[in-house]
Amino acid sequence: MMKKIIILLFAVFFLFIGQTVSANDVAKGISVGNAGSFTGDAAAPCMEIFNSSQMAVDEWNAKGGIQGVKIKHVMGDDALDPAQGIKVARKFTSDNKMYGVVGPPVSHIAQASLKIYGQNDLACITTAASKPELTESGYKHFFRVNARNDAHGWNTALFIKNTLKAKKVAVLNEKVAYCQNMAQETIKGLKQLGITDIMNDTIVAGAKDYSAVLTKVKAFNPDVLFFIATTAPDQAIGVRQAKELGIDAIFFGTEGARDKKDFIEASEGAAQGAYVYHFSPDIYSIKEAEAYVKNYEKKYGTLSGFGPPAYEAMNILLSAIDMAAKDGKISRSEVISKLSAIKNYKGILGFPISFDEKGDLLGGATYFFKVNGNDFEQVAVLTGK
Amino acid sequence: MEDIFGQLSQQAINGITIGGVYALIAIGYTMVYGVLSMLNFAHGELYMIGGFTGWWVLQIFSINHVPVMNAALLISLMIILSMGMSALLGLVIERIAYRPLRNAPRMNLLLSSLGVSIFIQNFILYFQGAKVKVFHVSQLIPESIRVFHVGGVVISFMRIMVIMTCFVLMILLTLVIKKTNIGKSIRATAQDIEAAAFMGIDTDKIIVIVFLIGSALGGAAGILVSLLFTQVDYYVGFQAGLKGFTAAVLGGIGSIPGAMAGGLLLGICEAMAVTFFPSAYKDVVAFTILILVLIFRPQGLMGEKIREKV
Repeated sequence: MMKKIIILLFAVFFLFIGQTVSANDVAKGISVGNAGSFTGDAAAPCMEIFNSSQMAVDEWNAKGGIQGVKIKHVMGDDALDPAQGIKVARKFTSDNKMYGVVGPPVSHIAQASLKIYGQNDLACITTAASKPELTESGYKHFFRVNARNDAHGWNTALFIKNTLKAKKVAVLNEKVAYCQNMAQETIKGLKQLGITDIMNDTIVAGAKDYSAVLTKVKAFNPDVLFFIATTAPDQAIGVRQAKELGIDAIFFGTEGARDKKDFIEASEGAAQGAYVYHFSPDIYSIKEAEAYVKNYEKKYGTLSGFGPPAYEAMNILLSAIDMAAKDGKISRSEVISKLSAIKNYKGILGFPISFDEKGDLLGGATYFFKVNGNDFEQVAVLTGK
Repeated sequence: MEDIFGQLSQQAINGITIGGVYALIAIGYTMVYGVLSMLNFAHGELYMIGGFTGWWVLQIFSINHVPVMNAALLISLMIILSMGMSALLGLVIERIAYRPLRNAPRMNLLLSSLGVSIFIQNFILYFQGAKVKVFHVSQLIPESIRVFHVGGVVISFMRIMVIMTCFVLMILLTLVIKKTNIGKSIRATAQDIEAAAFMGIDTDKIIVIVFLIGSALGGAAGILVSLLFTQVDYYVGFQAGLKGFTAAVLGGIGSIPGAMAGGLLLGICEAMAVTFFPSAYKDVVAFTILILVLIFRPQGLMGEKIREKV
């Protein structure tokens, strides 16, 4: 009796294993996920990511989908909370028709959830998470279309030294993975460039009162204040309180601040002349992106910097799925191997996309913008030189 | 050396502003504790509601961020309506969540207040969303009086307004408690609720009045901070409530002057701490002070020693 039960259990067990490993029929359906912080303070950029991905999916579906099967695009909201991010990962990986995910765009949430995607061979392409360690963990399933913090940090250091001509720099960072790491990389770069007069302090996300730490910055009297926070509202408060205290250093914000409404408008004039860096270029200056920009603005309103990489990432993911599905059968690991084989993909970003063996973008660049009136003006592109 | 003095006086201004706000929140905790011996954990949410009410008032009375009426009038209206809304909500909470439990063990009241806090937070999250609401205040204050320079110290008009309003409210409260009949009844109820009832004081009415005053001050704190920092979201009540509670304990819970002193002390210590430590440690410094005070003076700075009731 006991023996029979054990054999039965083994049979069931192997049946399960067999199911997850073997390829599925494409005709059963194809889903792609979109993991991000669609509610909370990062909702604006994340919705831009979702809407852009949705456009790519809609375009594929209009062309007939993949092997005649319409693609389903599923939203997974983590509300900027790593615990919720893990729930999203479990939900996506347990959906056996899901073959790839765009996201997660926030480093500390990616850090928490990537392992779960990896255990289930589900491909992830992030469009914004930039902490270097994410691709240093030996994951085979993780790719990014944006440059890493070490590239951004070095480029930002170059920009601060060569363009802004700073000799004294204050760096404030919010104590989460992305911000702390960006501060480290930038300070490392600044030191290599011979700028050693650096103040390094921390801020608390959502505290809304940075006047105490900014008073300290004022006493330090830097040429540039690099304010590293995740969201635009926090940076709007930062620039506002810095101006109020009479700090005349150049305010330098992060990619999260490239948000017309929550940074420029919310700071009511204080952000004039401030700089931000970003991982994606001014999309309006790229010819290949004209159709995308036109369609996006018609459907969803204005565009900042977060949409275009997401449109690109979803198109790359769907191309890989399409290649994997050519024979009518598809498996998750097949999608991953097709993704890593992508070479010189030419989309709308203005540069060809290839991944290195870690899943990183080859030759990533950092783009620099200056706040001018009610908009951001691209002032420089740096690629490490 | 001069540098550090300039910086410390600037930090003192930062500290007094935020300290005054902590004091207003602490008063709500301490008054409710005084009459009911309970910690009203929903108090932080009244602060948040104050901020949101002010935002809506500003939104309704301005077109494209330009106010449709006199700016001074609009700011007063924001403060008064925020106080009113928070007071109203305080009354509703007392009626629904606390009065039915008046004779239950204290733990039930505590849990009930936690429940109310979670409910209000999620209610606002659901109906207002998680995104921050931005106060467009630049049109409220003319450019010429927005910032003042006194020596090397910078004081914005908003800061002066926040400090003044806090102190005016605290003085008014002290007068009410010290000079009026209602104040006398509140003091009597706080001292011994049963004896006060024997003396013909309608203690239910006094408890309602206490909630009214405490909640209104919490709402005032909410709108003042929102005007100063120009943002409010559904989660601000948690942090503010924690700080207000700390200030109340620091000053001696149950004591109104203690709450005022505790709030100011906490605010100033936090700001000063940033000068010498990394700014992420400012809460560590604040709570270390709290622990030290509690070790050497368990009743708080101005609290009275409570004898165990047998």
